[in-house]
Amino acid sequence: MGNQVFSVKSIAKSFGSEKDGNYMEVIHDVSMDIAEKEFIVILGNSGCGKSTFLKILGGIEPATAGSMVLNGRDIGTAIPPEELRRFGFVFQSNNLLPWRTAEGNLKLMLQIMKLKGEQWNKRIDEMLDIVGLLDYKSVYPHELSGGMKQRVGIARALVHDPDILILDQPLGALDAITRKMLSYEILNIWKKTQKTIIMVTNNVDEAILLASRIFVFSNKPAVITHEIKVDIPVEERNHQIGQNTRYNQLREEINEIVRAAM
Amino acid sequence: MKKKNKLISFLAPVVSFLLIFSLWEIACTVNEVPTWFLPKPTEIFRSMVVDFPEFWPHILVTFEVVLMGFLIAIPVGLLLASLVTSFPLVNAALSPYITFLVTTPLISLIPLLMLMMGFGLNMRITTVVIQSFAVINMNACTGFNNVPTIRRELMQSMGADPIKTYLKMTLPSAASDIFTGVRLAAIFATTTCISVEYNAGNTGLGSQIIKYSQYLKTTQSFACIFYVTIIGLIMYGLISFAQKKIISWKE
Repeated sequence: MGNQVFSVKSIAKSFGSEKDGNYMEVIHDVSMDIAEKEFIVILGNSGCGKSTFLKILGGIEPATAGSMVLNGRDIGTAIPPEELRRFGFVFQSNNLLPWRTAEGNLKLMLQIMKLKGEQWNKRIDEMLDIVGLLDYKSVYPHELSGGMKQRVGIARALVHDPDILILDQPLGALDAITRKMLSYEILNIWKKTQKTIIMVTNNVDEAILLASRIFVFSNKPAVITHEIKVDIPVEERNHQIGQNTRYNQLREEINEIVRAAM
Repeated sequence: MKKKNKLISFLAPVVSFLLIFSLWEIACTVNEVPTWFLPKPTEIFRSMVVDFPEFWPHILVTFEVVLMGFLIAIPVGLLLASLVTSFPLVNAALSPYITFLVTTPLISLIPLLMLMMGFGLNMRITTVVIQSFAVINMNACTGFNNVPTIRRELMQSMGADPIKTYLKMTLPSAASDIFTGVRLAAIFATTTCISVEYNAGNTGLGSQIIKYSQYLKTTQSFACIFYVTIIGLIMYGLISFAQKKIISWKE
């Protein structure tokens, strides 16, 4: 296994306070070590706190307790602003700004991160090309289909060249066919860009297709109940994966686990 | 097919305009309605042209007050809304007064403002600003408060500072609500301006409407009212133009 790029140590998150009677513990205790170029998938039922966990990793919310270690440096309970450049966040609903074109949405990321110059402008084109939307550069989001919007969302999360890509149920809002196609596309993007990816999903098939390791979250307050290494070689992950015996074994095993948790 | 629809939607208001004014004209002629009671449209239009040199300075005064007051009210209302929605303390301290300003009929303040500031342009513009900024403020607040949480999260995930977040995300997100406020403010501005002119001084179209009515010169009175309408239409046109230029996207 490669270098540890990112570690999460005993992260916990709660909202409200016991005094006001609205205390709610969402994440109890989650730890994981993530190696370079790994594809981590977090599986869990809806409302189990997995999205909250990603928001902590994406610098959107601080944890209540625990710490995170980024490239050997302890950064505490929240990602400091100067480290946000290392992360790219893909939202469940594409979350594109409707007043900006596909290109404009990617440019926003560069503007906010203060990344100027010709090489970055070229990178906008490269990323739109990777998701297959170079021809739609100057098109507004309302003219794009749901799957295309989400692909722009993925390109946006990659444009500033982050180390870690965070995907919060990126396929959740799509129809079944688009969902399947885009899951293969994410696999290709991972192969091409060699990024470390952390993704949340509630779909077992997707998880096995994409993941190097799968973490299963319990219901709220979340802890990790299972860690499963997906030992299917990258070359064998393609449209024929359904005939792979190991795939079907894992599929049965994980479905069993998920059923038991419900 | 599309061309035909466009032609119809252009012709329909023209035809209805002609129809209404013809009916008015015919009704006045047939019933021999006295001019001081209700003049014929043709007489009003003639007065609008013939007496134009007499009206022109007053049109200018009214238009200046409406436009100036309106143009000052927009930044005042926007700034206040931005502060109120960004800082809860400012909100708690100011929101009762904004509600007062919206709910108090401004006409009741005019005598006091006259006492303090005289009949001049300053007093009129002040009144227009007070009356119209509040409605911009209220609508802009709605817009700012309705910014989707996930857009805030997007800006946070990028590490955007508050000013960039405001300029690049919050303001455009609230743009269509802000324009609703601006539209209403234009109506408020015209109404307030005419109300002030009814009460204060002898310049502006409002003062002329009062003057001509007192001398039973109803035709001239109507001509002035039509000019007020034209000022209102110009404001409406300007705002629609600006909205089309600024908001070119669909949510």
